Amino acid sequence: MKSVLGRWLAVVAVLTLVAAACGNSGGSTSSSAATSTTATPATTVATATTAATTVTTAASSTTEPVVEKVKKIAIATPEQGNDFGWNQQGIDSAKAAAAALGLQIEVADGLGYDDVRPILRELAGNGADLIIAHASGFNTAAPEIAEEFNVPVAIVDNPGAVKPGLVADYTTSPQGGAYLAGYLAAKMSRDNKLGIVVSGEPPSWNAQSAGFADGARAANSNVKLLYAVIGPAAYSDAAGANRVTSALIAAGADVIFGQGDGASFGMLEAIETNKAADGGKVLFIDVIGNKTSVAKPGYLLSSVLWDFTGAFERMVADIDAGTFGQSNYDLSLADGSIDLLKTDLIPADLWAEIQTLKQKIIDGQIKVEAVTDAGAVRARMSSVNAAKG
Amino acid sequence: MTDILSTVFLASLLSGGVISAVPLIYAGLGEAISERSGVLNLGLEGMMVAGAYAGFVATLNSGSIWFGLFVGGIAGLVVSLFMVGLCVYLNADQIVVGIALTLGATGVTALLHSAQYSKSYPRLPKAGVLSIPLLSKIPVVGVGLFSQHASTYLVLVLVAGAMWFFRSTRIGLNIKAAGDQPHALEAAGGNPRRTRTVAVMTAGFLAGVGGAHIALIGAGLFVPGVTNGAGDIGIVLAMLARGKLWWIVAGAGLIGVSLSLTTALQLIGLNIPIDAVQMLPFLLIIVVLFIFGRDSYLPAALCLPYDREAR
Repeated sequence: MKSVLGRWLAVVAVLTLVAAACGNSGGSTSSSAATSTTATPATTVATATTAATTVTTAASSTTEPVVEKVKKIAIATPEQGNDFGWNQQGIDSAKAAAAALGLQIEVADGLGYDDVRPILRELAGNGADLIIAHASGFNTAAPEIAEEFNVPVAIVDNPGAVKPGLVADYTTSPQGGAYLAGYLAAKMSRDNKLGIVVSGEPPSWNAQSAGFADGARAANSNVKLLYAVIGPAAYSDAAGANRVTSALIAAGADVIFGQGDGASFGMLEAIETNKAADGGKVLFIDVIGNKTSVAKPGYLLSSVLWDFTGAFERMVADIDAGTFGQSNYDLSLADGSIDLLKTDLIPADLWAEIQTLKQKIIDGQIKVEAVTDAGAVRARMSSVNAAKG
Repeated sequence: MTDILSTVFLASLLSGGVISAVPLIYAGLGEAISERSGVLNLGLEGMMVAGAYAGFVATLNSGSIWFGLFVGGIAGLVVSLFMVGLCVYLNADQIVVGIALTLGATGVTALLHSAQYSKSYPRLPKAGVLSIPLLSKIPVVGVGLFSQHASTYLVLVLVAGAMWFFRSTRIGLNIKAAGDQPHALEAAGGNPRRTRTVAVMTAGFLAGVGGAHIALIGAGLFVPGVTNGAGDIGIVLAMLARGKLWWIVAGAGLIGVSLSLTTALQLIGLNIPIDAVQMLPFLLIIVVLFIFGRDSYLPAALCLPYDREAR
């Protein structure tokens, strides 16, 4: 009897612990009204389970999306929205778009990369008229939920999965901004050695690595590029990022271009605690977000900034117009959704030079190739090094 | 690209490998002790991440790495108490509880970090090193092996001490008996549950220290999930060690060197896929398992709850 009681207590305790884990792997949702609008969501249901049943029935009886005019959007992210990077920029942009358009917004962050279908179903059931699945890891589940609930869904970096009216893709094209970053890095380097540290090789980061290399070569044909991947999907491996970045600094790099999400803080730590080969400071160029408020003064040279606000606003406008998913919702230098962060470390004349380059890219006078394949990126680095080494 | 292969670069690689290996040794040693007592501690990762967070907070507020390591150990020990209560005294499934502890600790630390540090992401100064006279002057190897934080040498002392402990002390022998023949231990006047409690708490403390080592010395900061699976690797190392604790040191060293090797191979421009390079540490583990796995020693009562009335 005592043993049976013990087992029951154990089960209860384990369930409690699993519930506690929802702070990260299970994800959390928070809803906030971006404006004072009190419009009732297009689909109002009591629970996610009920919603699944109700809307699946609706989906089977019609081929057109049920959304006529967007009143509420939702965004789902794999990590928490406080990483000064991909997740935070996505959530901040979605909130900005909702505020600008007078929409309600629901945020589900920290979902991890496991099965996110239950959370996406909950978002759909809560009345979202557009679900932004803000991770390439959601690209399988999100289109399924779009079909199941007949609700428009936006996915990342997968143009091949587009279904006009139902599934749209937003593939960022940040290579132009990275080109400018590479140009800046090569001009600022004292030893003509630049490091590129990445915690994975997703398409958009590959595009940035290649763009950075091209920009660096355009600025200085003698520059050497040291490229290192921390590990497969090492997005939160801050210790690995510190180790690899320290190794690149020891190899002579005095400017580091880092792409890492949570791992990027490990890169920052390595930069702030190691000296370059000439005894001077190592400089850091970040991506996606702006870490000015958390970096020690004198180390953050710049960042390739991404702003999804315009893309999300266009998605809403297209749903309202019935043209959702008929074009890619790109980010680019031209509309300011990709840009380079200006800091005090950048000399004024060099910044002016970069602005001229930026305009040339926008005007099409300089073509920056979008290289998204990891092998092609590595070959690019090898060719750079072989040619110059 | 051979010009980058300077002594400074090679020393940095070796040092990075050692810093990566040390937490694995702490965790692997703890797991070995737990397993010898009959408790498969799959919550090791959770104990490590709890130690990483608590150690980081302690060092951030006190400025002392040693205090942070100690507090990290205490945090790991506290998490291990759940394992003790649920598995040792309530006979819950060790695998389920271990997984739940890892998920729970990961979630709680992410939540705490989000509440306290997500706006500032504070970082620590670089940890000081203890340079061994003469040996630290050897090119490359000196800096890589003999100019490390003192906790690196401490873990080697602990491994040696644990070997003596298991061989020469009554409680060490009791721990082995609790894992092999708990009923025989009780018949001989011992207390299997109390013995397992001591072993699991020791494992929790060591795992917590290992996690703190990652945050304080490896990363210099805490981010959610900073331990990045080190606890799971520690479990594998303990399994591979087959009761020979020095094998944990060797295995962890192998993984550390492999990690540095992956960076080196990328930087010298070898034209092979990086995915293949990055499989090296795990490939090595699989090879070792193939060669030595058949002879692996596992305690007879591992993962089995102790019920004094079940004979």
